[in-house]
Amino acid sequence: MEQSTQDLCLDLRCGNITNKQFIKGLLSTYNVKSLHDLKPILERDNSEVYTILENVLLQSEEPVLNNEDLQDDEVNCDEDLDDKYNAAEHKLRNLDILSQNVFYPPENFAHVIGNIYRSSFPRTENISFFKQHLKLKSILVLLSDDYPEELLNLYKKHDIKLFTCAIQGNKEPFINIQDETVNKALRIILNPENHPILIHCNKGKHRTGTIVGCIRKLQNWSLTMIFDEYRRFAFPKARGLDQQCIEMFNSNEIEQYALQRKWLPLNW
Amino acid sequence: MNILITGNKIIPPINFCPVEHQLYRSGQPSPLNFPFLSTLNLKCIVWLSNEDPEDSFLEYCDLNNITIQFSAINPDFGEDDNPWDGLNEKSIASALNTLLDKRNYPLLVCCGMGRHRTGTVIGCLRRIMNWNLASCSEEYRRFTGSRGGRILVELLIEGFNKNSIQYNEELLPDFIKNSIKK
Repeated sequence: MEQSTQDLCLDLRCGNITNKQFIKGLLSTYNVKSLHDLKPILERDNSEVYTILENVLLQSEEPVLNNEDLQDDEVNCDEDLDDKYNAAEHKLRNLDILSQNVFYPPENFAHVIGNIYRSSFPRTENISFFKQHLKLKSILVLLSDDYPEELLNLYKKHDIKLFTCAIQGNKEPFINIQDETVNKALRIILNPENHPILIHCNKGKHRTGTIVGCIRKLQNWSLTMIFDEYRRFAFPKARGLDQQCIEMFNSNEIEQYALQRKWLPLNW
Repeated sequence: MNILITGNKIIPPINFCPVEHQLYRSGQPSPLNFPFLSTLNLKCIVWLSNEDPEDSFLEYCDLNNITIQFSAINPDFGEDDNPWDGLNEKSIASALNTLLDKRNYPLLVCCGMGRHRTGTVIGCLRRIMNWNLASCSEEYRRFTGSRGGRILVELLIEGFNKNSIQYNEELLPDFIKNSIKK
Protein backbone atom coordinates (compact mmCIF):
# COMPACT_ATOMS: atom_id res chain seq x y z
CA MET A 1 0.00 0.00 0.00
CA GLU A 2 2.80 2.33 0.87
CA GLN A 3 4.39 1.87 -2.55
CA SER A 4 1.29 2.53 -4.62
CA THR A 5 0.51 5.65 -2.60
CA GLN A 6 4.01 6.90 -3.29
CA ASP A 7 3.53 6.23 -6.98
CA LEU A 8 0.28 8.16 -7.01
CA CYS A 9 1.93 11.17 -5.41
CA LEU A 10 4.76 11.03 -7.90
CA ASP A 11 2.40 10.72 -10.86
CA LEU A 12 0.42 13.67 -9.61
CA ARG A 13 3.51 15.80 -9.23
CA CYS A 14 4.67 14.92 -12.74
CA GLY A 15 1.27 15.69 -14.17
CA ASN A 16 0.73 12.13 -15.36
CA ILE A 17 -2.63 11.98 -13.64
CA THR A 18 -5.27 14.55 -12.84
CA ASN A 19 -6.43 15.55 -9.38
CA LYS A 20 -9.47 13.45 -9.84
CA GLN A 21 -7.51 10.37 -10.86
CA PHE A 22 -5.27 10.93 -7.85
CA ILE A 23 -8.22 10.97 -5.48
CA LYS A 24 -9.71 7.93 -7.16
CA GLY A 25 -6.39 6.12 -6.81
CA LEU A 26 -6.25 6.87 -3.13
CA LEU A 27 -9.80 5.71 -2.59
CA SER A 28 -9.13 2.36 -4.20
CA THR A 29 -5.76 1.93 -2.48
CA TYR A 30 -7.35 2.38 0.91
CA ASN A 31 -10.50 0.62 -0.20
CA VAL A 32 -12.88 3.27 1.07
CA LYS A 33 -15.91 4.81 -0.58
CA SER A 34 -15.57 8.51 0.08
CA LEU A 35 -13.19 11.27 1.04
CA HIS A 36 -15.10 11.42 4.25
CA ASP A 37 -13.75 7.97 5.17
CA LEU A 38 -10.39 8.48 3.53
CA LYS A 39 -9.28 11.64 5.27
CA PRO A 40 -9.23 10.32 8.86
CA ILE A 41 -7.26 7.25 7.76
CA LEU A 42 -4.65 9.33 5.98
CA GLU A 43 -4.46 11.82 8.79
CA ARG A 44 -3.65 8.96 11.14
CA ASP A 45 -1.35 6.86 8.94
CA ASN A 46 0.27 9.07 6.38
CA SER A 47 0.35 12.76 7.14
CA GLU A 48 2.49 13.54 4.10
CA VAL A 49 -0.10 12.25 1.66
CA TYR A 50 -2.81 13.84 3.77
CA THR A 51 -1.22 17.26 3.17
CA ILE A 52 -0.98 16.62 -0.57
CA LEU A 53 -4.64 15.58 -0.67
CA GLU A 54 -5.65 18.71 1.21
CA ASN A 55 -3.80 20.80 -1.36
CA VAL A 56 -5.48 18.98 -4.22
CA LEU A 57 -8.87 19.60 -2.68
CA LEU A 58 -8.08 23.27 -2.24
CA GLN A 59 -7.25 23.52 -5.92
CA SER A 60 -10.47 21.90 -7.03
CA GLU A 61 -13.22 24.33 -7.76
CA GLU A 62 -15.92 22.10 -6.45
CA PRO A 63 -15.97 19.64 -3.62
CA VAL A 64 -15.53 16.03 -4.64
CA LEU A 65 -17.10 14.25 -1.75
CA ASN A 66 -18.08 10.78 -2.64
CA ASN A 67 -17.24 7.96 -4.93
CA GLU A 68 -20.25 8.55 -7.13
CA ASP A 69 -18.94 11.93 -8.17
CA LEU A 70 -15.64 10.36 -9.00
CA GLN A 71 -17.04 7.54 -11.03
CA ASP A 72 -19.20 9.49 -13.42
CA ASP A 73 -16.99 9.59 -16.47
CA GLU A 74 -13.90 7.46 -16.73
CA VAL A 75 -13.16 8.56 -20.25
CA ASN A 76 -13.46 12.27 -19.88
CA CYS A 77 -11.76 12.84 -16.60
CA ASP A 78 -9.58 15.48 -18.16
CA GLU A 79 -12.68 17.43 -18.99
CA ASP A 80 -13.56 20.39 -16.88
CA LEU A 81 -16.22 19.34 -14.44
CA ASP A 82 -18.02 22.66 -14.64
CA ASP A 83 -17.94 22.57 -18.42
CA LYS A 84 -19.77 19.28 -18.69
CA TYR A 85 -21.96 18.95 -21.70
CA ASN A 86 -25.13 17.05 -21.16
CA ALA A 87 -26.33 15.33 -24.30
CA ALA A 88 -29.76 14.76 -22.83
CA GLU A 89 -30.23 18.49 -22.55
CA HIS A 90 -29.78 18.87 -26.24
CA LYS A 91 -32.82 16.91 -27.30
CA LEU A 92 -34.72 18.47 -30.08
CA ARG A 93 -36.86 21.19 -28.61
CA ASN A 94 -40.53 21.42 -28.92
CA LEU A 95 -41.37 22.75 -32.36
CA ASP A 96 -43.80 25.17 -30.79
CA ILE A 97 -40.90 27.17 -29.49
CA LEU A 98 -39.44 27.52 -32.93
CA SER A 99 -42.65 28.62 -34.55
CA GLN A 100 -43.09 31.60 -32.24
CA ASN A 101 -40.69 33.89 -34.05
CA VAL A 102 -38.83 34.40 -30.80
CA PHE A 103 -35.05 34.16 -30.97
CA TYR A 104 -33.08 31.98 -28.61
CA PRO A 105 -29.45 33.03 -28.69
CA PRO A 106 -27.17 30.59 -26.85
CA GLU A 107 -25.98 31.47 -23.38
CA ASN A 108 -22.97 33.76 -23.15
CA PHE A 109 -23.54 34.82 -26.73
CA ALA A 110 -21.83 37.98 -27.93
CA HIS A 111 -20.43 39.70 -30.94
CA VAL A 112 -16.63 39.71 -30.90
CA ILE A 113 -15.64 41.78 -33.90
CA GLY A 114 -16.56 41.95 -37.57
CA ASN A 115 -18.24 38.69 -38.43
CA ILE A 116 -16.92 36.76 -35.45
CA TYR A 117 -19.23 35.67 -32.65
CA ARG A 118 -18.84 33.69 -29.42
CA SER A 119 -21.14 31.59 -27.29
CA SER A 120 -21.61 28.50 -25.16
CA PHE A 121 -22.52 25.11 -26.67
CA PRO A 122 -25.41 25.71 -29.07
CA ARG A 123 -28.70 23.92 -28.70
CA THR A 124 -31.15 23.03 -31.38
CA GLU A 125 -33.41 25.97 -30.55
CA ASN A 126 -30.60 28.38 -31.39
CA ILE A 127 -30.52 27.41 -35.04
CA SER A 128 -33.13 29.88 -36.24
CA PHE A 129 -31.17 32.64 -34.51
CA PHE A 130 -27.98 31.50 -36.23
CA LYS A 131 -29.54 31.34 -39.63
CA GLN A 132 -31.97 34.20 -39.73
CA HIS A 133 -30.12 36.65 -37.57
CA LEU A 134 -26.41 35.89 -37.83
CA LYS A 135 -26.50 34.15 -41.21
CA LEU A 136 -23.73 31.89 -39.93
CA LYS A 137 -21.50 30.19 -42.42
CA SER A 138 -19.31 28.26 -40.01
CA ILE A 139 -18.89 27.22 -36.42
CA LEU A 140 -15.63 26.46 -34.65
CA VAL A 141 -15.82 24.14 -31.67
CA LEU A 142 -12.90 24.12 -29.25
CA LEU A 143 -13.61 20.67 -27.82
CA SER A 144 -12.66 17.18 -28.81
CA ASP A 145 -15.85 15.46 -27.67
CA ASP A 146 -18.27 13.90 -30.07
CA TYR A 147 -20.61 16.48 -31.47
CA PRO A 148 -24.33 15.80 -30.94
CA GLU A 149 -25.86 14.16 -33.97
CA GLU A 150 -28.99 16.31 -34.07
CA LEU A 151 -26.91 19.47 -34.26
CA LEU A 152 -24.70 18.02 -37.00
CA ASN A 153 -27.80 17.27 -39.01
CA LEU A 154 -29.15 20.75 -38.51
CA TYR A 155 -25.84 22.34 -39.52
CA LYS A 156 -25.82 20.23 -42.63
CA LYS A 157 -29.36 21.18 -43.45
CA HIS A 158 -28.59 24.88 -43.01
CA ASP A 159 -25.21 24.80 -44.75
CA ILE A 160 -23.15 25.58 -41.69
CA LYS A 161 -19.62 24.22 -41.81
CA LEU A 162 -18.28 22.83 -38.56
CA PHE A 163 -14.57 23.17 -37.72
CA THR A 164 -13.00 21.42 -34.78
CA CYS A 165 -9.91 22.62 -33.00
CA ALA A 166 -9.66 20.92 -29.64
CA ILE A 167 -7.81 22.88 -27.03
CA GLN A 168 -7.15 21.73 -23.50
CA GLY A 169 -8.88 23.50 -20.66
CA ASN A 170 -6.38 25.50 -18.64
CA LYS A 171 -7.45 23.94 -15.43
CA GLU A 172 -4.90 21.44 -14.31
CA PRO A 173 -1.40 22.57 -13.62
CA PHE A 174 1.08 21.28 -16.24
CA ILE A 175 -1.44 21.51 -19.02
CA ASN A 176 -0.82 24.45 -21.24
CA ILE A 177 -2.52 25.61 -24.36
CA GLN A 178 0.21 25.56 -26.99
CA ASP A 179 0.69 28.57 -29.21
CA GLU A 180 0.38 26.29 -32.22
CA THR A 181 -3.08 25.17 -31.15
CA VAL A 182 -4.19 28.76 -30.73
CA ASN A 183 -2.67 29.64 -34.09
CA LYS A 184 -4.57 26.82 -35.70
CA ALA A 185 -7.82 28.11 -34.25
CA LEU A 186 -7.03 31.67 -35.25
CA ARG A 187 -6.22 30.66 -38.83
CA ILE A 188 -9.78 29.34 -39.07
CA ILE A 189 -11.37 32.24 -37.24
CA LEU A 190 -9.63 35.05 -39.08
CA ASN A 191 -10.21 33.61 -42.54
CA PRO A 192 -12.93 35.74 -44.15
CA GLU A 193 -14.03 32.75 -46.21
CA ASN A 194 -15.44 31.23 -43.04
CA HIS A 195 -17.33 34.33 -41.95
CA PRO A 196 -19.74 34.79 -40.27
CA ILE A 197 -18.26 32.35 -37.78
CA LEU A 198 -19.26 31.38 -34.25
CA ILE A 199 -16.67 30.17 -31.73
CA HIS A 200 -17.88 28.01 -28.91
CA CYS A 201 -16.84 25.55 -26.23
CA ASN A 202 -19.13 24.31 -23.49
CA LYS A 203 -19.88 27.32 -21.39
CA GLY A 204 -18.29 29.94 -23.59
CA LYS A 205 -16.19 30.94 -20.63
CA HIS A 206 -12.73 29.46 -20.54
CA ARG A 207 -11.57 28.13 -23.89
CA THR A 208 -13.63 30.59 -25.91
CA GLY A 209 -12.56 33.38 -23.56
CA THR A 210 -8.91 32.47 -24.04
CA ILE A 211 -9.20 32.48 -27.83
CA VAL A 212 -11.12 35.75 -27.84
CA GLY A 213 -8.39 37.18 -25.61
CA CYS A 214 -5.85 36.18 -28.25
CA ILE A 215 -7.97 37.90 -30.93
CA ARG A 216 -7.96 41.02 -28.78
CA LYS A 217 -4.16 40.80 -28.68
CA LEU A 218 -4.15 40.98 -32.46
CA GLN A 219 -6.21 44.16 -32.10
CA ASN A 220 -3.49 45.43 -29.79
CA TRP A 221 -5.78 45.84 -26.78
CA SER A 222 -4.13 46.47 -23.43
CA LEU A 223 -3.93 43.27 -21.38
CA THR A 224 -5.91 44.82 -18.53
CA MET A 225 -8.93 45.35 -20.75
CA ILE A 226 -8.51 41.91 -22.32
CA PHE A 227 -8.60 40.34 -18.85
CA ASP A 228 -11.55 42.50 -17.91
CA GLU A 229 -13.48 41.16 -20.88
CA TYR A 230 -12.35 37.60 -20.15
CA ARG A 231 -13.58 37.87 -16.57
CA ARG A 232 -16.91 39.36 -17.58
CA PHE A 233 -17.69 36.28 -19.65
CA ALA A 234 -16.12 33.78 -17.26
CA PHE A 235 -17.82 35.19 -14.14
CA PRO A 236 -17.85 33.75 -11.52
CA LYS A 237 -15.33 31.14 -12.68
CA ALA A 238 -12.47 33.17 -14.09
CA ARG A 239 -9.21 31.23 -14.20
CA GLY A 240 -5.84 32.77 -13.63
CA LEU A 241 -4.25 30.20 -15.93
CA ASP A 242 -6.39 31.26 -18.89
CA GLN A 243 -5.36 34.83 -18.38
CA GLN A 244 -1.70 33.79 -18.15
CA CYS A 245 -2.14 31.86 -21.34
CA ILE A 246 -3.49 34.94 -23.11
CA GLU A 247 -0.56 36.95 -21.83
CA MET A 248 2.05 34.37 -22.81
CA PHE A 249 0.59 33.73 -26.23
CA ASN A 250 3.08 34.87 -28.82
CA SER A 251 1.09 36.40 -31.64
CA ASN A 252 3.99 37.08 -34.04
CA GLU A 253 3.51 34.03 -36.18
CA ILE A 254 -0.23 34.34 -36.70
CA GLU A 255 0.16 38.08 -37.20
CA GLN A 256 2.59 37.50 -40.06
CA TYR A 257 0.35 34.84 -41.53
CA ALA A 258 -2.74 37.04 -41.33
CA LEU A 259 -1.04 40.21 -42.54
CA GLN A 260 0.21 38.42 -45.64
CA ARG A 261 -3.35 37.51 -46.44
CA LYS A 262 -4.68 40.96 -45.57
CA TRP A 263 -6.87 39.53 -42.80
CA LEU A 264 -5.53 42.12 -40.41
CA PRO A 265 -6.33 44.67 -39.16
CA LEU A 266 -9.70 43.34 -38.14
CA ASN A 267 -12.58 45.65 -38.91
CA TRP A 268 -15.54 46.27 -36.64
CA MET B 1 -3.65 60.39 -16.44
CA ASN B 2 -0.44 59.12 -17.94
CA ILE B 3 -1.18 57.50 -21.24
CA LEU B 4 2.43 56.48 -21.69
CA ILE B 5 2.05 53.70 -19.16
CA THR B 6 0.20 51.64 -21.71
CA GLY B 7 2.81 51.88 -24.43
CA ASN B 8 1.27 51.46 -27.85
CA LYS B 9 -1.67 49.42 -26.61
CA ILE B 10 -5.16 50.61 -27.27
CA ILE B 11 -7.63 50.72 -24.42
CA PRO B 12 -11.36 50.22 -24.89
CA PRO B 13 -13.62 51.94 -22.34
CA ILE B 14 -14.76 50.09 -19.26
CA ASN B 15 -17.46 47.48 -19.92
CA PHE B 16 -16.99 47.92 -23.66
CA CYS B 17 -18.60 45.32 -25.89
CA PRO B 18 -19.89 45.18 -29.43
CA VAL B 19 -23.64 44.57 -29.44
CA GLU B 20 -24.28 44.27 -33.16
CA HIS B 21 -22.59 45.49 -36.29
CA GLN B 22 -21.58 49.09 -35.67
CA LEU B 23 -23.47 49.17 -32.39
CA TYR B 24 -21.39 49.26 -29.21
CA ARG B 25 -21.93 49.66 -25.49
CA SER B 26 -19.64 50.87 -22.71
CA GLY B 27 -19.19 52.99 -19.61
CA GLN B 28 -18.17 56.62 -19.86
CA PRO B 29 -15.06 56.87 -22.04
CA SER B 30 -12.09 58.69 -20.57
CA PRO B 31 -9.24 60.36 -22.49
CA LEU B 32 -7.38 57.03 -22.23
CA ASN B 33 -10.00 55.51 -24.50
CA PHE B 34 -10.12 58.20 -27.18
CA PRO B 35 -7.59 56.55 -29.53
CA PHE B 36 -9.68 53.38 -29.33
CA LEU B 37 -12.95 55.22 -29.88
CA SER B 38 -11.52 56.76 -33.01
CA THR B 39 -11.14 53.28 -34.53
CA LEU B 40 -14.93 52.86 -34.31
CA ASN B 41 -15.67 55.89 -36.53
CA LEU B 42 -18.64 56.75 -34.36
CA LYS B 43 -21.34 58.97 -35.72
CA CYS B 44 -23.51 59.15 -32.67
CA ILE B 45 -23.33 58.46 -28.93
CA VAL B 46 -26.40 57.87 -26.78
CA TRP B 47 -25.65 59.19 -23.31
CA LEU B 48 -27.95 57.72 -20.67
CA SER B 49 -26.97 59.35 -17.40
CA ASN B 50 -29.00 62.27 -16.17
CA GLU B 51 -25.76 64.02 -15.31
CA ASP B 52 -23.62 65.62 -17.94
CA PRO B 53 -20.60 63.65 -19.14
CA GLU B 54 -17.11 64.96 -18.44
CA ASP B 55 -15.87 67.99 -20.35
CA SER B 56 -13.03 66.07 -22.00
CA PHE B 57 -15.57 63.63 -23.43
CA LEU B 58 -17.80 66.42 -24.73
CA GLU B 59 -14.80 68.07 -26.32
CA TYR B 60 -13.74 64.82 -27.96
CA CYS B 61 -17.19 64.38 -29.49
CA ASP B 62 -17.27 67.94 -30.62
CA LEU B 63 -13.86 67.65 -32.25
CA ASN B 64 -14.78 64.43 -34.06
CA ASN B 65 -18.23 65.48 -35.18
CA ILE B 66 -19.97 62.91 -33.04
CA THR B 67 -23.54 63.75 -32.09
CA ILE B 68 -24.42 63.10 -28.46
CA GLN B 69 -28.01 62.22 -27.70
CA PHE B 70 -28.83 63.09 -24.11
CA SER B 71 -31.61 60.59 -23.83
CA ALA B 72 -32.01 60.57 -20.08
CA ILE B 73 -31.53 64.20 -19.17
CA ASN B 74 -34.95 65.44 -18.31
CA PRO B 75 -35.39 68.97 -19.65
CA ASP B 76 -37.90 69.88 -16.92
CA PHE B 77 -35.76 68.51 -14.08
CA GLY B 78 -38.55 66.44 -12.63
CA GLU B 79 -38.58 65.64 -8.93
CA ASP B 80 -37.77 62.00 -9.41
CA ASP B 81 -34.71 62.56 -11.46
CA ASN B 82 -31.90 61.19 -9.35
CA PRO B 83 -28.68 59.65 -10.64
CA TRP B 84 -29.51 56.42 -8.83
CA ASP B 85 -32.97 56.09 -10.35
CA GLY B 86 -33.31 53.95 -13.42
CA LEU B 87 -34.51 55.07 -16.79
CA ASN B 88 -38.19 55.75 -17.39
CA GLU B 89 -40.30 54.83 -20.39
CA LYS B 90 -39.76 58.18 -21.99
CA SER B 91 -35.99 58.04 -21.88
CA ILE B 92 -35.95 54.42 -23.07
CA ALA B 93 -38.14 55.36 -26.02
CA SER B 94 -35.96 58.34 -26.81
CA ALA B 95 -32.82 56.20 -26.81
CA LEU B 96 -34.46 53.47 -28.88
CA ASN B 97 -35.60 55.96 -31.49
CA THR B 98 -31.97 56.78 -32.07
CA LEU B 99 -31.01 53.09 -32.14
CA LEU B 100 -33.68 52.24 -34.67
CA ASP B 101 -32.40 54.70 -37.25
CA LYS B 102 -29.51 53.43 -39.32
CA ARG B 103 -28.47 56.97 -40.14
CA ASN B 104 -27.05 57.22 -36.62
CA TYR B 105 -24.63 54.31 -36.99
CA PRO B 106 -21.86 53.55 -36.03
CA LEU B 107 -23.32 54.18 -32.62
CA LEU B 108 -22.21 53.85 -29.00
CA VAL B 109 -24.63 53.51 -26.08
CA CYS B 110 -23.11 54.48 -22.75
CA CYS B 111 -23.75 55.66 -19.22
CA GLY B 112 -21.45 56.16 -16.25
CA MET B 113 -20.39 52.54 -15.80
CA GLY B 114 -22.14 50.89 -18.74
CA ARG B 115 -24.10 48.66 -16.41
CA HIS B 116 -27.72 49.40 -15.58
CA ARG B 117 -28.90 52.23 -17.81
CA THR B 118 -27.04 50.93 -20.84
CA GLY B 119 -28.24 47.45 -19.94
CA THR B 120 -31.84 48.64 -19.82
CA VAL B 121 -31.74 50.12 -23.31
CA ILE B 122 -29.89 47.18 -24.82
CA GLY B 123 -32.31 44.80 -23.08
CA CYS B 124 -35.29 46.60 -24.61
CA LEU B 125 -33.58 46.58 -28.00
CA ARG B 126 -33.21 42.80 -27.68
CA ARG B 127 -36.91 42.56 -26.93
CA ILE B 128 -37.66 44.46 -30.13
CA MET B 129 -35.36 41.98 -31.86
CA ASN B 130 -37.57 39.18 -30.53
CA TRP B 131 -35.02 37.71 -28.13
CA ASN B 132 -36.44 35.57 -25.37
CA LEU B 133 -36.44 37.24 -21.97
CA ALA B 134 -33.93 34.89 -20.34
CA SER B 135 -31.31 35.80 -22.92
CA CYS B 136 -31.99 39.53 -22.45
CA SER B 137 -31.57 39.12 -18.70
CA GLU B 138 -28.45 37.06 -19.04
CA GLU B 139 -26.85 39.66 -21.26
CA TYR B 140 -27.83 42.46 -18.88
CA ARG B 141 -26.33 40.63 -15.90
CA ARG B 142 -23.08 39.94 -17.69
CA PHE B 143 -22.26 43.63 -17.48
CA THR B 144 -23.41 44.39 -13.96
CA GLY B 145 -20.30 43.31 -12.08
CA SER B 146 -20.03 41.40 -8.85
CA ARG B 147 -22.96 43.16 -7.20
CA GLY B 148 -25.27 41.61 -9.70
CA GLY B 149 -28.26 42.90 -11.58
CA ARG B 150 -31.10 45.04 -10.36
CA ILE B 151 -34.51 43.46 -10.31
CA LEU B 152 -36.08 46.79 -11.25
CA VAL B 153 -34.08 46.92 -14.47
CA GLU B 154 -35.12 43.40 -15.37
CA LEU B 155 -38.73 44.23 -14.61
CA LEU B 156 -38.44 47.24 -16.92
CA ILE B 157 -37.10 45.02 -19.68
CA GLU B 158 -39.84 42.47 -19.13
CA GLY B 159 -42.57 45.09 -18.93
CA PHE B 160 -41.30 46.97 -21.95
CA ASN B 161 -43.97 47.09 -24.59
CA LYS B 162 -42.20 46.76 -27.90
CA ASN B 163 -45.29 47.82 -29.79
CA SER B 164 -45.10 51.22 -28.16
CA ILE B 165 -42.07 52.10 -30.24
CA GLN B 166 -42.76 53.66 -33.62
CA TYR B 167 -40.18 53.33 -36.32
CA ASN B 168 -39.68 53.83 -39.99
CA GLU B 169 -39.06 50.39 -41.45
CA GLU B 170 -36.89 51.77 -44.23
CA LEU B 171 -34.48 53.28 -41.75
CA LEU B 172 -34.04 50.20 -39.58
CA PRO B 173 -30.49 48.87 -39.30
CA ASP B 174 -30.08 45.53 -41.09
CA PHE B 175 -29.62 43.45 -37.96
CA ILE B 176 -33.03 44.51 -36.70
CA LYS B 177 -34.65 43.94 -40.07
CA ASN B 178 -33.30 40.40 -40.04
CA SER B 179 -34.81 39.66 -36.69
CA ILE B 180 -38.24 41.18 -37.03
CA LYS B 181 -39.10 40.04 -40.49
CA LYS B 182 -41.89 37.52 -40.39
